[in-house]
Amino acid sequence: MRTVFFIAVLVLAALVTTPFMRTGAAAGETPAAKNAYLYIGWPNDGEVIKMHRFRVWFGLRNAGIAPAGVQKPNTGHHHLIIDAPLPPFDQEIPADKNHLHFGAGQTEAVIELAPGKHTLQLLMGDYQHIPHNPPIYSRQITIYVK
Amino acid sequence: MWKLIFAAVVATGLGGTAALADATPISKEARVYIIWPRDGQVVHGGKLWVRMGLKNAGIAPAGVEKANTGHHHLIIDAPLPPLNQEIPADKNHLHFGAGQTEVRLELPPGKHTLQLLFGDNQHLPHNPPVYSEKITIIVP
Repeated sequence: MRTVFFIAVLVLAALVTTPFMRTGAAAGETPAAKNAYLYIGWPNDGEVIKMHRFRVWFGLRNAGIAPAGVQKPNTGHHHLIIDAPLPPFDQEIPADKNHLHFGAGQTEAVIELAPGKHTLQLLMGDYQHIPHNPPIYSRQITIYVK
Repeated sequence: MWKLIFAAVVATGLGGTAALADATPISKEARVYIIWPRDGQVVHGGKLWVRMGLKNAGIAPAGVEKANTGHHHLIIDAPLPPLNQEIPADKNHLHFGAGQTEVRLELPPGKHTLQLLFGDNQHLPHNPPVYSEKITIIVP
């Protein structure tokens, strides 16, 4: 039993550290727009939110949005990472409840979170959902849902 | 005279509707709005980022035909252009055909109006047309 637990911890540790080890080392093949700047327009870092459902606004400067599947220079589409670290940059961004894809070209989203502390981070993906080179991602912010 | 004007208005209206029927369809729930600046905002120095908001639809660059998408056009100090024609491209009608969602503006002192109008892959307004409220900002 203890061994199983130990292995589980090791696997978890590997999952957590992998993205950091890969940072800078690998990226997708689509060149990023020069000076592209991605940020969360709302909520603010540290925001205390009194509703479970709220709107997240995606901010992007010096680059444009294109839906998934559309290959156009200096564009990409938003991915919102909730309560998870950045995924590997040389692979397709996962699609699950921690990695929301906005492949229809959306620039904001209404999300629902359980009460508690949560992290949010944006990561741009190219037409194939792979981060750009260099990757374009926002600061990770922390919010508190009452 | 009034009858003539009335006839002209009706004709224009009908013409517009007929043309709009051919326009690219978009969700009836689609909305564009100006996130920033606020209506009535005083912008010292006249330099500002305009943040363009969109609900219930997506952005696609000009030339890309994809259901329920379009691209932003910012109308500065001008009324809405005809909704059955290509949106003009000049200093009063800025196109964001590269899929941009923000723009840096430098406006001279005075009162200015801003309004967003969504355009399809060919820069034509959708059916129904999607445009924001017109806001006024003041550069002292």
